[in-house]
Amino acid sequence: MKIVIVGNSVAAINAIEAIREKDKISSVAVVSDENYRAYSHPLLPNLVIGEVSRSEDRFYYRRSDFYQKNKVNAILGKRVVKINPKSKTIELDNTEKVEYDKLLLACGGKPAKPPIDGLELEGVHTLTNIKGADKLRKDLKNINHCVVVGAGLIGSKVAEKLAKKKVKVTLVELARRVLFPVLDDKGADFIHKELKRLGVNLILNDSVKALDGSNRVEQVVLNSGKRIKADGVVVAVGVSPNIDLAKDAGLKVDKGVVVNDYMQTSDESIYAAGDVAQAYDVVYGSKRPIPILPLAARQGRTSALNMLGMDVKYKGGFPMNSITIGKTSFISMGIVDSDELEILSFERDGEYRKFLIDEDNRLKGMILVNNVEKAGMFNWMIQNKFDVSWIKDAFLNSDFGWKYFNKAFRVLRLDRKIK
Amino acid sequence: MKIVKIREDNCIFCHLCEVACIVEHSQSKDIIKAFKREEKPIARCSVEFNYPVSLSVMCRHCDDAPCVEACQNGSMHRDDRGYVVVDADTCVGCWMCIMACPYGVIKRDTRRESWGLSTKCDFCPDREIPACVEACPNEALTLEEI
Repeated sequence: MKIVIVGNSVAAINAIEAIREKDKISSVAVVSDENYRAYSHPLLPNLVIGEVSRSEDRFYYRRSDFYQKNKVNAILGKRVVKINPKSKTIELDNTEKVEYDKLLLACGGKPAKPPIDGLELEGVHTLTNIKGADKLRKDLKNINHCVVVGAGLIGSKVAEKLAKKKVKVTLVELARRVLFPVLDDKGADFIHKELKRLGVNLILNDSVKALDGSNRVEQVVLNSGKRIKADGVVVAVGVSPNIDLAKDAGLKVDKGVVVNDYMQTSDESIYAAGDVAQAYDVVYGSKRPIPILPLAARQGRTSALNMLGMDVKYKGGFPMNSITIGKTSFISMGIVDSDELEILSFERDGEYRKFLIDEDNRLKGMILVNNVEKAGMFNWMIQNKFDVSWIKDAFLNSDFGWKYFNKAFRVLRLDRKIK
Repeated sequence: MKIVKIREDNCIFCHLCEVACIVEHSQSKDIIKAFKREEKPIARCSVEFNYPVSLSVMCRHCDDAPCVEACQNGSMHRDDRGYVVVDADTCVGCWMCIMACPYGVIKRDTRRESWGLSTKCDFCPDREIPACVEACPNEALTLEEI
């Protein structure tokens, strides 16, 4: 069988690993427009300020012999321009055609473009791949005051890193708090304090209207009318799934590429996984793209096993994030803010715990700030729709752990008898 | 594959498993030096106590380890023996493994200068029997096939 994978990051690499665990014979080709081996996207802000370099192993997602060891034909630096589902071929930008029996779309997302005038000016950057990071890194010498647009994961992280590099940073966020979808007001306040302590000028409830300058950006104009002198801008307002290829090929697309429970698209020979796919969210009970690394890995594996004909259902996932800004670490998952769910919360001595539980006593989401080590236990409860009625009283204890569980359950779990 | 079986009824809350783990993962592997002269490693097992319950918990070395799936740069991986271990040279301390671990048994070591380090049971690669199992005086931790 000929398996072709479009994209060369988390979903693709995990698909390759799953394929090779089961099948040493089929040919596997990976096509990516980026001319590098798979790397760690979360480290891009570190790469910008030189905390990590491209010569270090820790920057990469797998070691350098990965493709050779897994007998993968890595076609790097070539863009896929078209998928022909009828003839089961893809066309590359050098007019070369590649045949497939099964195709995996793992082409991720692209930076969303906000409606701002002047994005084409010099000194305006995005940070979703190596190219963007390199461009920003080389431009750092020209940047004294940087405006970061959007306080999401990338925006907050890059603001922190640039401030650490003694660049004057202004972080502009449309919402009333940073990291809006992954923290509530109280949790975000921890991050606000950290950012301020690092010297980041934080502007909330405002957005950027235009970037002014003759050649290079000189000034940022906000919707409130405020003007900020700046010689660098990082636009980080999120990513959107790269659905163009799938759409042009006639596949069913919505916000992302629509897949069934087996990560199969509307064409039975084509699968999709990772940031590009619109898969099941167990917390919301509907399908939507959730662009996070652990789900890309799981979807990559699942889609690969199904391409090999193994009938493995994707059980669904939910948003989860682990972030450290300054000295504050937090892990949050699922729904983090709600008026309808039962809320348990606790804050003391720099620790914050919050749990959101529905009327059926199922955990729907949680936030842990600073005391995060047991976070995964809650992850398991959310994923498995665990009845928390008899354990939720212990959730707010800082020393939450196995000792609070019912003995029979604890023994079965720790013996790996309940997955 | 063998893992450490936890027999909580036998646990006497002595913490010797933690001591043995610390010594095993110290530079000198000497108890006095490990506790007095070196930077003391973090114990990979944790003894929990909630009267009358006490037990030591450590990595269950899952087949489909979610921590490996969540790792951003392959630091968390399965070694040649099949156990899940961290490559300390490449771990960046993002704690995504902690976010994923269904047993809550990965700890944070934040003492390194530039990167945090996820710390977990490595099933004592230099030993036949893990140090915690050998140190347990009452067979509350035993080595068993799963």
